[in-house]
Amino acid sequence: MTVPRPRAGGPGPGDSFTLSTPNGIGYPDRVRAEETSSLTVDDACVREWEADFEAAARRPLPMRLRYAFIRTYKPVLDDAPYRSFDTMAEYRAWCETNLPSWLGYGREV
Amino acid sequence: MAAKFDYAQAEEIRRIFDRYRVRYLFLGKSGAILLGFPDTTQDADLFIEKTPANGRAVVAALRELGFALSDTQAAEIERGKDFVQLKSGPFDLDLVFAPDGIETFEEAWRRHVEVEGFPVCHLDDIIASKAAANRIRDRESLPRLRAFRDYWLRQQR
Repeated sequence: MTVPRPRAGGPGPGDSFTLSTPNGIGYPDRVRAEETSSLTVDDACVREWEADFEAAARRPLPMRLRYAFIRTYKPVLDDAPYRSFDTMAEYRAWCETNLPSWLGYGREV
Repeated sequence: MAAKFDYAQAEEIRRIFDRYRVRYLFLGKSGAILLGFPDTTQDADLFIEKTPANGRAVVAALRELGFALSDTQAAEIERGKDFVQLKSGPFDLDLVFAPDGIETFEEAWRRHVEVEGFPVCHLDDIIASKAAANRIRDRESLPRLRAFRDYWLRQQR
């Protein structure tokens, strides 16, 4: 997956790199090959993300949570006070069948 | 529609779950946010250990938090259905007893991180869970989340 450069100009030669996690940083023995991905990420994009990460790290936790949790109505999903599923597969299938695709809970567009 | 989740409610979960000795971990994007990931989400996801005693404890704790649970619903949670979605309380909560991509609660617990007393799944588990779920929303968030994992690990050294 290529994450597009967020500003004009486009990447130059050698201006992008592959962010790969074949060794599963932190738990090299646990992450299986099929769980890893090799994604080309524009380095300017990563720099912007890292600036966001740095800024977030300077905020105290209560402020981070205040900014992070939002509330908007999600059709169907928000229309019942309680739902339960015996298996995650059953839950995924319910999402695919019942939720509007634009909510992004499905696996296919 | 419930109010949005906030720090005071997170503290309430921590306080009441601790009192009932519930074994749980923050998972999903809410877990990543506790670890410092700057993003938005709407609800909190909790990975709950699936044992009868823990099921009883979590039901008691949820009722004290203000979630209206019928006896049937309480029995389902005690039994540990794989996924329970609660919108009957002061905030929205997803209880996950068997998240995709994580083998056991015990393994996740061994790797977990404490953030100001909040027990949180390690970022590798959060990422593994999202990668295994493979929903459109997960695929969209994974590149940035993986970049955050690399940044976060550098800060831990």
